Amino acid sequence: MYDLAVVGGGIHGASVALFAARGGMNVVLLEAGALARQASGTNAGTLTMQMTRAALIPYALKAHEMWVNAPHWLGHDVGVVACDGLSLAFTEAEEQLLSERAKARSAAGAPINLVTKAEATRIEPGVNPSIRMASHCAIDGYANAYLTGLAYRRALRDAGVTIREYTPVTGLAASGKGYEIRLAQKAIAASQVVLTGGVWLEPMLKWLDIQLPIKTLVNQLSVTERTGPVMRTVLGIASGLLSLKQFPHGTVVIGGGWQGEGRRETNYHRTTHDSTVGNARLAVHAIPALRNTRLVRSWTGFEAETADALPIVGPVPGHPGVWVSGSVHSGYTSAPYIAHCLTQAILGHHPEMPLFPMDRLLANSTPEAAHFPPKSQ
Amino acid sequence: MTESFDLLVIGAGPAGGEAALSAASAGLNVALIDEGPAAGGQVWRAPRTAKAKRSRAQDPDRERGDDLRARLAASSIKIFYATQVWDARPGFRVSCVSDAGAKELNAPCLVLATGAIERVLPFEGWTTPGVFGLAAATAVMKAEKALFGQDIVIAGQGPLLIAVAAKACELGLRPRAIIDRASRSDWLRAAVGFAGVPSMLITGARWMSQLALAGIPYHRGSEVIRANGDNALQSIVMSNLDSGATEEIEADTLYVGNGLTPADELHRLLGAAQTADGLRGGYRTIRDDRCRSSVPNLYVAGDGAGVYGALPSAIQGQIAGLSAARDHGALTEAQFSARVKEPRRKLRRLEKFGDASCRLMQFPQDVTTHVSAETIICRCEDVTHADIHAAIDDGAQDLNQLKHFTRLGMGPCQGRMCGLTAAAILNHRNPGPKTDTRLTPRAPVRPIEMNQLIGDFDYDDIPVPKPAPL
Ligand SMILES: Cc1cc2nc3c(=O)[nH]c(=O)nc-3n(C[C@H](O)[C@H](O)[C@H](O)COP(=O)(O)OP(=O)(O)OC[C@H]3O[C@@H](n4cnc5c(N)ncnc54)[C@H](O)[C@@H]3O)c2cc1C
Ligand SMILES: Cc1cc2nc3c(=O)[nH]c(=O)nc-3n(C[C@H](O)[C@H](O)[C@H](O)COP(=O)(O)OP(=O)(O)OC[C@H]3O[C@@H](n4cnc5c(N)ncnc54)[C@H](O)[C@@H]3O)c2cc1C
Repeated sequence: MYDLAVVGGGIHGASVALFAARGGMNVVLLEAGALARQASGTNAGTLTMQMTRAALIPYALKAHEMWVNAPHWLGHDVGVVACDGLSLAFTEAEEQLLSERAKARSAAGAPINLVTKAEATRIEPGVNPSIRMASHCAIDGYANAYLTGLAYRRALRDAGVTIREYTPVTGLAASGKGYEIRLAQKAIAASQVVLTGGVWLEPMLKWLDIQLPIKTLVNQLSVTERTGPVMRTVLGIASGLLSLKQFPHGTVVIGGGWQGEGRRETNYHRTTHDSTVGNARLAVHAIPALRNTRLVRSWTGFEAETADALPIVGPVPGHPGVWVSGSVHSGYTSAPYIAHCLTQAILGHHPEMPLFPMDRLLANSTPEAAHFPPKSQ
Repeated sequence: MTESFDLLVIGAGPAGGEAALSAASAGLNVALIDEGPAAGGQVWRAPRTAKAKRSRAQDPDRERGDDLRARLAASSIKIFYATQVWDARPGFRVSCVSDAGAKELNAPCLVLATGAIERVLPFEGWTTPGVFGLAAATAVMKAEKALFGQDIVIAGQGPLLIAVAAKACELGLRPRAIIDRASRSDWLRAAVGFAGVPSMLITGARWMSQLALAGIPYHRGSEVIRANGDNALQSIVMSNLDSGATEEIEADTLYVGNGLTPADELHRLLGAAQTADGLRGGYRTIRDDRCRSSVPNLYVAGDGAGVYGALPSAIQGQIAGLSAARDHGALTEAQFSARVKEPRRKLRRLEKFGDASCRLMQFPQDVTTHVSAETIICRCEDVTHADIHAAIDDGAQDLNQLKHFTRLGMGPCQGRMCGLTAAAILNHRNPGPKTDTRLTPRAPVRPIEMNQLIGDFDYDDIPVPKPAPL
């Protein structure tokens, strides 16, 4: 019998498993595929305040500090680079949007200030001279998301977590003093369970007869071949629909939440023609030197979003010992710190910063589910 | 910009050219797309330089190519040359780029006839400047009637080996050696299959005797194990597969190749079912006797679906085009049966020949056991043999994980060069039930010029989605 079973080996599950094991728990991590091969291994890796929802800024700031110090607490490299971040405005409407958003985010604690075209061009010499203004944040940067699986695998192994990859969980039920976690072959038992299934949290919560709609976004990204230096910052635009950075090895990753197409049920997702062209045009508009590169690959991944676009992190009501963590906007950035807070709660401590209990969403949709688990259980 | 047709054909080689022609002859409105400047594909490639165009040397491939190009020019087919397909979605919606920018072509039926790419087994120093592929040599000779290098060595295996050697001699070059992985008995066994197609057997025999007459040293059952030289090739080291005896040969140019493998990115992107090809290594796309894939209204023909060579490819193309016409309602079942009868009969004979050629291109699955730890496997990202083993030690179980751990396959070739080799190492290290050792296919299927993708645009016209919540 494990102290804790973590279901879903993305950045949220892997972080909770790591911190819980370091907190003295006997932990098993169950992952349907390979560690961090869904959103957490395929995302753009931007560690930015300028795309983070204002309510999450305090968490993202703490998490940013953790990412920069990853070699110390994670012990392994995910290629984190800290640098300046700029969000650009090319039109009057964008100027206004940028000002509003910068204000709200700095009120939440992000060190963001508006800068003139001249100042922005000094910070990012590669930027299109037709910008009108920008917002600047000195706390920005990126990780190399595809290294997440390798880095966490090593850390989890060092911490004594039992890693079970290619092991999809099929169900969950209370049993004795804990829970029975059903697998294709046989079940395992744990005192407590954390559900960290990304977009698959919706089917996972159904195991407990909880109906909580999770919207599945299909974000798409593209990468250029290696090229000489064309930029030195993390770039976005006022609307948030662009994220752009050049990795030390020379490739430039183009993203920003343009939508591909796909279905969570079949785990099928792919880019669309229009999003690939549109996102690339926006990127070249921001950094004109990108026009002379080649695009080598584009891809997609699922991002989870709740009805109010805020996270669900905390206990699952009506099921003592079951926890949930996910649907965090810019969720890669904030994950280590949010997992740190959740793990404090799992270990019986008071979390450093408030969690995001899911009750608020259940009350609106199916009130019974929150308080009176249906009879079928 | 979007245009619609009854049928789209991707690739204007023997397979795609014939597919387009047979479908158009049955009345379909067909578009044919190729990234090259003319039809003909690899084997019936159009001459490019003035010298090559003038060349009067008797060349059946050139004649067949000229014939195909003439028939296409006289047809109703809408041809898009210098147009690269970078994505295809069910339905079918095919994304292209050209100097005119990006566009989508639509049709309810699609034929994939994308041809093959060369396989090269890695050896120490294979990334040294002066080492080229065998297939690349044939392409240059066809287009330019010229071949780079003075002291050349020709190595590898399969029919291209002697074809390149013989054609190099015709150009007045004198290869210092031909190094063939296949042994004399491999050739004798293959000859049984070749016998079914006497014309090909005769060509092959003529090439062999030309080489013998010219006194070119021919080393059978041997392979190149090292290329020496820093910025330019200086010599190669050859080893006998049986005895292990080695010999160094001075050379400034090495042409080496170990057979062909399907260029099947679009097949896989569209989800066509595949099967491991024990004879050829790698995978082949499953097709029925009407060249239909597992995806409705998706037809596959030629070496892109499974390597059989040029003549079978042309016939498969013919059948695929007729099959699309039948499914589209342009032919009755009786008309279709009548028109495919003769092609099918020829195809059976030719496919045997294809299998025999492939037997000459076989190699053991553990292709890298003799390769040193420092040898580069992924040449785009400089991932070495040792890096791959370290990643497997770290727990990588499939090719996508290997990619994340090492960057193998993340460069411009997206694993086309190294994927099969890396898969072989994984399978060798992790015996037991095989996981799927293919990289996830994604667009663009080949690198695309950003300039062509985005074309000219106004910032205000970019359809930026609505802002994310604050
Ligand atoms: C393309 C893209 C770009 C992004 N860019 C950024 C960015 O630049 N910056 C940023 O901060 N955020 C970004 N995000 C968001 C971020 O990636 C996610 O918020 C975050 O990775 C979510 O982590 P997760 O652990 O909740 O989910 P996931 O990583 O999806 O992990 C969930 C895991 O659960 C597993 N699972 C599902 N069902 C089962 C089952 N039945 N049994 C066992 N396991 C199961 C899945 O296989 C999966 O591995 C991006 C997202 C995408 C898709
Ligand atoms: C480099 C090379 C040289 C060869 N030389 C010989 C030879 O000398 N003799 C011989 O018998 N066999 C040769 N072969 C084998 C040869 O491939 C086949 O036997 C024959 O050409 C197969 O015909 P096909 O129509 O299937 O493919 P191909 O002739 O290869 O035609 C495929 C066509 O598809 C086009 N194409 C592919 N992908 C795309 C895309 N994404 N967008 C647009 N166009 C695309 C290509 O430009 C090409 O014109 C060679 C193979 C290679 C790879």
